[in-house]
Amino acid sequence: MLSKSLDEAKADIKMDLKEAKEHADAHFGGKGLTDPIPTVETIHPPPNRFQDKWRLLPAFLKVKGLVKQHIDSFNYFINVDLEKIIKANERVKSDVDPHFYLKYTGIRVGAPERPDLEAMNRSYTPHECRLRDLTYSANIYVDVEYVRGRQIVRRKGVPIGRMPIMLRSSHCVLTGKSELDLAKMTECPLDPGGYFVVKGVEKVILVQEQMSKNRIIVDVDRKGFVQAGVTSSTMERKSKTYVGTKNGKIYLKHNSIAEDIPIVVALKAMGMQSDKEITQLVCGQESKYIDKFSPNLEECSKMKIFTQQQALDYIGTKVKAPKRSFGPGIRRPAAEEALDVLATVVLAHVEVQDNNFRPKCIYVAVMTRRVVMAMLRGDLVDDRDYVGNKRLELAGQLLSLLFEDLFKKFNSDLKMNIDKVLKKPNRTQEFDVYGQILIHGDHITSGFVRAISSGNWSLKRFKMERAGITQVLSRLSFISALGMMTRISSQFEKTRKVSGPRALQPSQWGMLCPSDTPEGEACGLVKNLALMTHITVDDEEEPLVKLAFILGVEDVSLLTGPEVYLPETFMVFLNGNILGITRHSKQFVAAFRRMRRAGRISEFVSIFISDHHNSVHISCDGGRICRPLIIVEKGKPRVRSEHIEQLSAGNLSFDDFLRLGLIEYLDVNEESDSNIALYEREIIPESTHVEIEPFTILGAVAGLIPYPHHNQSPRNTYQCAMGKQAIGAIAYNQFNRIDTLLYLMVYPQQPMVKTKTIEMIGYDKLPAGQNATVAVMSNSGYDIEDALVLNKASLDRGYGRCQVLRKYATLLRQYSNGSYDRLADPPVHPDDPTIVQERFEVLDKDGIASVGERIKPGQVYINKQMPTNTSSDVGVNSRDPTANAYKNAPMSYKSAMEGYVDKVLMTTTENDQTLIKALIRQTRRPELGDKFSSRHGQKGVCGIIIQQEDMPFSDLGICPDIIMNPHGFPSRMTVGKMIELLAGKAGVLKGQLQYGTAFGGSKVEDMSRILIENGFSYSGKDYVTSGVTGEPLSAYIYFGPVYYQKLKHMVMDKMHSRSRGPRAVLTRQPTEGRSRDGGLRLGEMERDCLIGYGASMLLLERLMISSDIFEIHVCEMCGLLGYAGWCQHCKSSKGMAKMQIPYACKLLFQELQSMNVIPRLQLENVF
Amino acid sequence: MNYNAAQTSAPKPPAAAIPYICAECGSENEIKPKEPIRCKECGYRIMYKKRTKRMVQFEAR
Repeated sequence: MLSKSLDEAKADIKMDLKEAKEHADAHFGGKGLTDPIPTVETIHPPPNRFQDKWRLLPAFLKVKGLVKQHIDSFNYFINVDLEKIIKANERVKSDVDPHFYLKYTGIRVGAPERPDLEAMNRSYTPHECRLRDLTYSANIYVDVEYVRGRQIVRRKGVPIGRMPIMLRSSHCVLTGKSELDLAKMTECPLDPGGYFVVKGVEKVILVQEQMSKNRIIVDVDRKGFVQAGVTSSTMERKSKTYVGTKNGKIYLKHNSIAEDIPIVVALKAMGMQSDKEITQLVCGQESKYIDKFSPNLEECSKMKIFTQQQALDYIGTKVKAPKRSFGPGIRRPAAEEALDVLATVVLAHVEVQDNNFRPKCIYVAVMTRRVVMAMLRGDLVDDRDYVGNKRLELAGQLLSLLFEDLFKKFNSDLKMNIDKVLKKPNRTQEFDVYGQILIHGDHITSGFVRAISSGNWSLKRFKMERAGITQVLSRLSFISALGMMTRISSQFEKTRKVSGPRALQPSQWGMLCPSDTPEGEACGLVKNLALMTHITVDDEEEPLVKLAFILGVEDVSLLTGPEVYLPETFMVFLNGNILGITRHSKQFVAAFRRMRRAGRISEFVSIFISDHHNSVHISCDGGRICRPLIIVEKGKPRVRSEHIEQLSAGNLSFDDFLRLGLIEYLDVNEESDSNIALYEREIIPESTHVEIEPFTILGAVAGLIPYPHHNQSPRNTYQCAMGKQAIGAIAYNQFNRIDTLLYLMVYPQQPMVKTKTIEMIGYDKLPAGQNATVAVMSNSGYDIEDALVLNKASLDRGYGRCQVLRKYATLLRQYSNGSYDRLADPPVHPDDPTIVQERFEVLDKDGIASVGERIKPGQVYINKQMPTNTSSDVGVNSRDPTANAYKNAPMSYKSAMEGYVDKVLMTTTENDQTLIKALIRQTRRPELGDKFSSRHGQKGVCGIIIQQEDMPFSDLGICPDIIMNPHGFPSRMTVGKMIELLAGKAGVLKGQLQYGTAFGGSKVEDMSRILIENGFSYSGKDYVTSGVTGEPLSAYIYFGPVYYQKLKHMVMDKMHSRSRGPRAVLTRQPTEGRSRDGGLRLGEMERDCLIGYGASMLLLERLMISSDIFEIHVCEMCGLLGYAGWCQHCKSSKGMAKMQIPYACKLLFQELQSMNVIPRLQLENVF
Repeated sequence: MNYNAAQTSAPKPPAAAIPYICAECGSENEIKPKEPIRCKECGYRIMYKKRTKRMVQFEAR
C-alpha cells in the first residue's frame, strides 16, 4: 500500500517535471529559472585574460599619488580660484575722491622664498622651515592699476602678503624633483606631501564631508512632515530654502522670511498668476497629484491673493528687514522688498536675469512636485547618508574661503586708509597707494598663519565658525602620516544618537574604506578614502551647457507643465540647476558619455539618469567622490592584454588609458546608474564597466593587512587603528628631523607576507615591524589574556628594539627693556676649576650639553639664565646690581632612563630670536609590559621574557621569538593571521616574499605544497621539543613567521608610583597625574566598596589621614572655627576643642562663609 | 654649597667660543651672544653643535 503510493507520487513528480519542462520550453525559450546566468565567456571563449590589469593601479598612483586630492585642490585654488576671487573684488574706490580707483588686474603666487631680504639664496626648503620654526610660504603678487594724481599708474608684482604653500603642490620646490634632488633637500621621496609647514609644525587640513550644495534633497523633518530643501551656495551668499508641508499644505520656508509662505502665494509673487499654469507645472496631468495639490490653491484664493502685486504685498510684510547701508530713513515699499528677496536671496543659485522669474518659478514648481510625490510615496524621500548626496571639501576650497575673507578685509582696510589720506585738504606729496598696499601686507599673512595653526576658520561673511579644521600631522609612523592625509572628518555632531551617518553605506563601495574608522565616539563619522578615490575640483559650466543644447536639450521656459511631465520627457539638470528637457534621455546620455570618453569635455563630468524623477543630472562641481573603472563595451572590456603590455613596457601611462577611452571616472551617482562587474568572468551583456581591482575598495591603512578577507571585519578595523601606533621607520630623512617626539625602530623589516598595497604606498621601504618566528602554544601561564612570551636571546639580538628621540627647545628671548636671556658656562668649584657638579657634568663651555654625551636624569643640558627684571627700563649705565641680575633657568633632563644628546641645533627665528633645539635619544629594548601587535588586530603585552634555553625548539633547532597563546584565535576568528603564518613560512623556506593581498594573494594550497616540498607538514605544524624538560611536546605546534609590530605604548612611559609627594596648593590633596608625580586615587567606586565592607578606619586613613588631614580648633559655643585655642567670634578661649578634618572640608566651610552661609559644628563625645 | 659663579653680578660671557657647524656648507662658525646666527661662508642660519671630544662609553645591552 505504502510502496504503491510512493510510486504514484514519484510518477506525479515526473509528470510535473515534464510539464514544467514543456512549459519552460514554450515560454522561456528552453531556459529554467535555476539555470546559471550565461556569462560572455561561455558564449564566446575569452579573448585574452588580462589578469595584470592591477598594473593600472600603480600607474594611477604614479599620476595621481595617494594625496592627489589635496594637491589638486590646492593647485586649483592657487592657479585658478585666486584669479576668480580677484576678479570678483577687483575694484577699490574712495568715498572721498570719486576720481580715485584701484583695480586688480592679475594675481600670481611666487615660489616659496624666505622672508628675510639679506639672504643670498632666497629659495628655501620645507625642511629648513621645520627646523627653524618658520612658515613655508610664498609671496602673493598682484598687478594693479590705480590713479595717482591725474594719471593712471600700472604696477606689476605688488606683494600683498604671504601664502602658505602645500608641500608637493605646483608651487612647491619639491615637485618634479628626482630622488637625488630630494635627498639634497633632506626630504623623503616617499613623503606624500599635501600638508603645510606653519611655524615649523606640519599641519594637515582635513577633508571635510558635507551635504551637497544646490541640490534638492527631500527628507522628513522631526515632526514627520516631508520637505524639500536646497542649500544655495553662490559666490555672494549661502542660504537654505525649504518647500515643506504643514497640515497637508505646502509652504515655502526661508530664513529671511519670518513666516512660512503658502507655495501658491510664492509662485504668484514670482509672476505665475494663473492657477491652471501652477497646477500644470507642479502636477502635470496626473490627477492624484492634482488632488493632493488642490488645497494649496484653495488656501491662496481664501487669502484673496490673485495677482502678483497682492502676493508681493503679502510677502513684503513678512520679510525680515535686511541691514542696508544706504540710510535708515529710506525704506522701500514692502512689495519691492519682497521681489528683491525672492530674486536674490531665496534659491540664490537660480539666477534671475532681467526680472525673468520663469526659471525660478519652474525650480520652485519642481521642488513642490518632489514634495507632492514624496507625500504620496514615502520611498521617494532621499537618503541623506547616500554618498552621492555628499561633497568633500578640501584644503583648496577652505583656503579660498579664507583668502576671500582676508582679501575683502584687506581691501576695506585699504579703502579706509585711502579715505583717511585723501580727506586731508592739502597733502605734502602726491598720494600713491603703492605704499599703502605694502603696509597692509601683514594682515593676509597672519590671517593664513593663524587659521592654519589654530584650526579655527571664522569667516564672518558666511557666518562660518569652525574649529578643528587642521590637525598636526602625526609622525608616529609612516602609516599614521599617510592615514592622516586620507582622513575625512564629518560635520555631524558626535552626540546625536542616530546611527544613519555612522553606518556603512553601500554606496561608499570603492570610494571610502569600509574598515578604516576609529572606535568609540567618532566611529563611522571619521572615514578614510579608498585607494583609487579621486575628488573633483570645480569645472567650467558653459561648455557643458552648449554641448547639452547641441545634443538636443530644449529650453524648459518655452514649455508648459503637461509637456514637461510627459512620460518620455526627462528634465536635464546641470549642477542642480534646471537646464531644459530632453525627449530622448538614453541617447542624450549615451552621446554625452561618448563626448567625455573622447576627451571633448573634462573626464570628471558625470551624467546619470534618475528614473524616480524622470531626470538627467549632469555635474561638474567640485568635491564629488569618483574613481576610475574599465569601460566594457558589447560584453568585452576595452582594456586588453596588449594595452597592459604597453603599460608595463612604459609606453602608455594612466592618462593615456583615459585619453584612449579605455577607462573613465565615475562618481557615486553615475556608478549607481551603471552595471559594474567585479571580475571579467562576471561580465554579462548589460555590463557597462569592470572593476580595475577589487582590493582598491580598501584604503591605504587597511591595505597593510594580509588576507583581510579571511578576518572578522572588526579585527581589520582594530588593525587600522593599531597600524598607526606601530613603531618603525618614519621617512628617509628621519635622522635629520627634530620632532617633539620621534619613535624609531632599530632594525625594521619588510613583511614576509606583503600586499600589493604595501608595495604601492612604499611600506616595504619604510616598514614598522619585524618578522617574528611565532609558536602558537601555551607556555608558562604568563601568557594568559593575550600576553606574549618573548625570547630573551631575540631581544639581545635586537628584536623589537626602538629609539625614542625627544626634542627640548628653548628660545633666548630679548625683552622689551633691552635685557635678554643668556647661556652660562657650567659653574665650577672656586678652588679647582676641573671639578664640576654632577648636575652640570655634560655641559660644554657654552652652557649647552655636548653632542654625544650621556645624560642622566636630573642633569642640565641647557644652562639658561633669565634676567630678573624684564619689564622696567634699565639704564645702560645703571650701577644698580639688582637691576641687571640674572636668575638661573636651567633645563634639566627628566626621564626614567638615561639618554644621549643626539643633536643640538641653534638657529634664528623670523623675529631674530635665538632658538636652541636639543634632541635627546633613548634606546629601549622590549621589557615586561611593552605592547605588541600582529597585523590582525591582535594586540598583547609582553608577559614574560624567557631565556632561550627554556624556550621550546623545533627539530631544526629553530626557537620562537614570540610564543602566542592559542586562546587568542577562537573568539577573534582572525583566520588571516593563520594564513599569514603559513604563507610566511612557505616564503621563508622558498626564499621569496608571499602576497596576502585582499581578495587574492598566495593560495593556502600552494603554500602547503611549498611546505611539503621542503619537508614540513602541510598544516604548518611542527614537532617541538620542550626547552625545560627536553621531552617532545605532546602536540604539534603551529610554528612560523608572523609580522609583529611594536606599539608606542611602553611601560617606561607609563609606570608610576608614589608614597609621598607633592600636594596641590588649594586643597592640600595629592596632585593628579603621572607628570606631576601624583597620587593614585581611591575613587568613588572604591570608596563604595569600603563603605559596603564596613572598613571605616581604612576609609578614614585613605580619605583623610593619607590625604589632606588638617587640625582645626572649634568653638563649642558658637560652632565656628577658631585659631590656636581662641574663638574670634566669642572672644574667648572657653570650650575650644581640637579635632582633625580634611583640609577640603575646612575649605568648604570657609567658602560657605564667604557666601553668607554659616556652617556650625556641633561637637559630641563619641567614646 | 653654592659655587654658582655665573649667578653673581657681572654678566660673564662664555670664555672660549665653541665652534658650530653650518648645516648647509659644513664650515665652522663661532656663535656670539646677541648676534643673529648666520654662517659666514654661505649665510645659512642653521648651526649644529659639534660632537663632544670626551670619550663616551655605551652599554651593549
